Amino acid sequence: MTTHKSISFTLNGNPVTAHAGNHQNLVELLQGQGLFGARESCAQGLCGCCTVVVDGQAVSGCLTMATLVDGADVRTIEEPQAGEGGLDAVQQAFIETGAFQCGFCTPGFILMTRQLLDAHPNPADDEIRHYLAGNLCRCAAYPEIIKAVRLAAKKRRG
Amino acid sequence: MNPFELAEPRTLKSALKLLDAGDESVRVFGGCTALMLMMKTGVFQPTRLISLRGIEARYSKVTSAGDGGLRIGALATLGALGRAAAVKKRAPVITDTLRTLSNVRVRNVATLGGHLAHGDPHMDLPPVLIALDAQVVTAATAGSRTLAVADLFTGYYETALARNELISEVLVPARTGRRSAYVKLTTRGADDWPTLGIAVSVVTDGKVLSDARFVISAATEKPLRLASVEAVLNGATVDDALLARAGEAAAAEAELVGDARGSAAYKTELLRVHAGRALRKALAA
Amino acid sequence: MATTLGKSNSGSAFGRSIPRVEARAKVTGKAEYVHNLRLPGMLYGKVFRSTVAHARIRGIDVSAARALPGVHAVYTAADIMRLVPDPHYGPAFHDQPVLAIDKVRHVGEPVALVLAADPHVAEAAAQMISADYEELPAVFDEIEAMTSKAVVHEVLKPAGTFPDLKHLKGKRDTNIALDFHLRRGDTQKAFAAADHVFEHTFRTQQVLHLPLEPFVTVADPTPNQLVIHTASQSPSFVRIEIARLLGWPENKVRVKVPYLGGGFGAKLYIKLEALVAIAALLAGRPVKISLTMEEQFYQITKHAATLRIKSGVSKDGKILARECEVWWNGGAYADIGPRVTQKSGFTAPGPYDIDHVAIDSYALYTNLPAAGALRGFGIPQLVWAYESHTDMIAKALNIDPLAMRRKNILKEGRPQATGTLMRDAGIEQVLERLAQRMQWEKTFDRGSGKLRRGRGIAIGFKASISPTTSVAIVNVSADGSVMVNCSTVDMGQGSDTAMAQIVAEALGVPVESVTLVHPDTDVTPYDMATLGSRSTFHMGHAVRLAAEDARDKLMKLAQEVGLSAETTSIPDIFRKKYGMQAGNIVGVGSFIPSYAPPDAQGQTDNATPFWMIGATGAEVEVDTETGEFKVARLVNLVDVGRPVNPAIVETQISGATLMQLGFTLTERMDFDAGQVTNASLADYKIPGIRDVPAVMENEAVDMVQQTGPFGAKGVGESGTFGVSPAIASAIDDAVGVRLTSLPLTAEAVYRGLRANAGKPLQD
Repeated sequence: MTTHKSISFTLNGNPVTAHAGNHQNLVELLQGQGLFGARESCAQGLCGCCTVVVDGQAVSGCLTMATLVDGADVRTIEEPQAGEGGLDAVQQAFIETGAFQCGFCTPGFILMTRQLLDAHPNPADDEIRHYLAGNLCRCAAYPEIIKAVRLAAKKRRG
Repeated sequence: MNPFELAEPRTLKSALKLLDAGDESVRVFGGCTALMLMMKTGVFQPTRLISLRGIEARYSKVTSAGDGGLRIGALATLGALGRAAAVKKRAPVITDTLRTLSNVRVRNVATLGGHLAHGDPHMDLPPVLIALDAQVVTAATAGSRTLAVADLFTGYYETALARNELISEVLVPARTGRRSAYVKLTTRGADDWPTLGIAVSVVTDGKVLSDARFVISAATEKPLRLASVEAVLNGATVDDALLARAGEAAAAEAELVGDARGSAAYKTELLRVHAGRALRKALAA
Repeated sequence: MATTLGKSNSGSAFGRSIPRVEARAKVTGKAEYVHNLRLPGMLYGKVFRSTVAHARIRGIDVSAARALPGVHAVYTAADIMRLVPDPHYGPAFHDQPVLAIDKVRHVGEPVALVLAADPHVAEAAAQMISADYEELPAVFDEIEAMTSKAVVHEVLKPAGTFPDLKHLKGKRDTNIALDFHLRRGDTQKAFAAADHVFEHTFRTQQVLHLPLEPFVTVADPTPNQLVIHTASQSPSFVRIEIARLLGWPENKVRVKVPYLGGGFGAKLYIKLEALVAIAALLAGRPVKISLTMEEQFYQITKHAATLRIKSGVSKDGKILARECEVWWNGGAYADIGPRVTQKSGFTAPGPYDIDHVAIDSYALYTNLPAAGALRGFGIPQLVWAYESHTDMIAKALNIDPLAMRRKNILKEGRPQATGTLMRDAGIEQVLERLAQRMQWEKTFDRGSGKLRRGRGIAIGFKASISPTTSVAIVNVSADGSVMVNCSTVDMGQGSDTAMAQIVAEALGVPVESVTLVHPDTDVTPYDMATLGSRSTFHMGHAVRLAAEDARDKLMKLAQEVGLSAETTSIPDIFRKKYGMQAGNIVGVGSFIPSYAPPDAQGQTDNATPFWMIGATGAEVEVDTETGEFKVARLVNLVDVGRPVNPAIVETQISGATLMQLGFTLTERMDFDAGQVTNASLADYKIPGIRDVPAVMENEAVDMVQQTGPFGAKGVGESGTFGVSPAIASAIDDAVGVRLTSLPLTAEAVYRGLRANAGKPLQD
């Protein structure tokens, strides 16, 4: 047993290896890879700024031990999307509805919205609110975010 | 956080062995959400942790038991539980409770076993599982035992588990004729730890109530059944007067603790009113 | 991009809801924040903080921390003073030490700093430091602080940085950092003559900004300069203050600010910068300090306040005289508290036409974390008090709340309490439009049984901070593309977009051809700060003037080379002049509005360059059995002049309203002997998506600020003004419970219901 180990994982589709300590979290691991879109803010898994998708499931990067993503598929906000200009429908909808101000929480909201729409392609407002209840926006762009989710759902349905 | 060693056993047996051999400070984790919070604030500074994530897959499974109940591996995540069709069918109150339990990301990794073993009185599922007469199966190198969830909690962040004993499974009995509800009262915003949790479960033949369970949490040092409320409900027929009597009994019996989310006196008033409302919710379920 | 001066292909740039210029960077996680910055050789700093509220420091033991492998250095005030003999900073007073010297004045005050290449090592080392304190009596309450024997600062040290704070004079053995007084007419005589005199006292709680990007600063000691990368709303002030501390010329300090992950007034003036800068110079290496969310609770907060209002009223509801006393709990360091005391103090009587007014406003030191500016500079606290007071009077006199306001509202051209005449202040327009949208004059269903409904309205106003300066440069390249150098910080309010739109409008070029150079004091000129909704007006004018200057120079150039600027594309003008794509046209703009400081009676004929107006209507549903209630509808009306970008303006109104909703319902810093007992987002509850009222309506009334750039003025704060009193009045309307302290909790409503029933809840 050691305190640090070499890990291999897939990062936004590309294989990477890294040396990580058990005491480091996933946000720190990503920073080491030059990715800063997942941001530690509340440090308690409550605000969603550090959202990362691991093996298809959204997690709080600040509560995830770096070494536990060994062998995992890790996806972040920086992953290029297939849509127009490298943006997917959710990102486009967030821009079109102006669903952010300072932008610090935005990557988390976008990643969570993708998960929401994967599970519920046509969510009711109540579903949107429940699903995004774990993401905080201090600028309080919530009304615009709800509009963005509705628009993204529409865009994804085609 | 300081560096620490991490063991990732492949079997429950080897995890238990590591736990037996290790020093007093060794801890196991499933989702590592609560433990991570304690480590980040420096409340807990481990030298060695044991991850249960790699042990046999069956400890993460949710299965419909032959008797109409549920058999839930302790490593099942709360998210998996919330999505499981079997749970929704056989214990819909659990599905309903999970909707406002923490958030999607935490539910995606936090496990049922960890949720119970943490012993935090603010957790939502303990009162619900007590109201459902659920049991936990534990494992230790010395052997396994089964105990009621009601007997698992012994105090504030204290459980009946020995240091080298783990929860391996949770058993939820068939709900034949039983209706249940959980009411999570928050006083500082929609998403918060509960100020008061109320879980109710009753058997009803359409009119007369029997075999009631009435459990409160969050405002007590551990989830607590209120016998006087159950006595009021058992054998009674439902009307406004009964609901009021249940509320009065609850308020009289419960000794609630005040905190920043509400004074003890106010929480008692919430209990007085919401006891009946919780029962209505259960009967409407 | 071959653009012709004055002929934008896309129509007017001003007044259009274009997406933010940085939208793409923000949705891909690539927007630049100081958070992202890592420099070669960089050390991470971790602060060791006081655990007591008020004490003499007998000793600090850093030996174990210094001995920990991986620790580069541990500094205390003694080390700081090797470089800066008098390391005290602050915008109003030079009262805040870089690290505690001899004494600590609040829990969480920085006492020592650990530097290490590994942040985990720095954190572990900081936990090994211990301090020996001789505890002193502490004072926490603002009223007690007026007369307390516990004195937070033995001597007051005014800074004199701002012209309007020049009159601050140091005093000994007092906690009163500033007292502001205003007298107009004769209140005593008017009270004696009034049919009714009402007096009420209101309280607001201590809350805080909590930007999701916590405070973060990097300082890099390069051979020629000290470069500071910081999440600051006031890069120019940081440069001046750091240069002052070091005794250096301004140009040896370079302050760079990328995007901010929220500011709300928290990141104003100087915060972490002095400590990080000095640590980097001592260490000879780049240093970064990122606060944790928990540490933010000890950095800067919003003033708790006690407000007493007394009004003399005629029997038909005309307010004849008003006396306001306000005590602001400023915490252990003045920060900008004295400015809040004066600037907010003078609007304390509210947007009402009152002949006889007396105001006494006090900034007080206490042993709590420092309070500064938070989205409204004290105005939301005042509106909370004066609008609650207005409705309490209306109720007592059985006058409709709208009628009460109509009778007393401060109309265009009338003098405000300072004597300054109201100009382009849409108080009436905002009130009337709010009444319309609330359908105030129609019957309102108040419910029956256990669930009761109620509604309330409230209106507030605010003066802009004055006098303040903004300078801007507009640089036109030879291909016609335009760069705007200005030190306004885009912290989410959309200033980059607004400035691009104003410049495009002034030059008549497409907005897409304009980019903003982010604050960098080496290349972006002086700006007072991004605060108090001043940027659209002040910097808006500066960039407009710079653009007009550039346009004039381009015209002249065209003339010089024998071309018509109206018909020739900008690149062709440059090509004709230089024979190739070469050269620049640089326009400069500088703006400072006129201002007349108040006299000893608080009177001036020019208190502000513009007024901000905001009003909210609220509808609530109250459960009479438990006091639990929900805000069903919020209608927010503001006067922002002509909106630069209507969509961003609406987001600002709604965001401000929801932030104030948190301060109204759920947010409160809880203390135990000066220690914050809920210093986390788990226990300090900011609004989440499920807290947003089912119905939210926002509107900017149709107004023009004649003196504003293209008719515009500020918007960031106006949405906050009316929220708290509108909700409190709606609760009173529903169930007859009048709350006078924030936050408005279900328990407080329930206790009120019980008290009304003659059965107070016993604890």
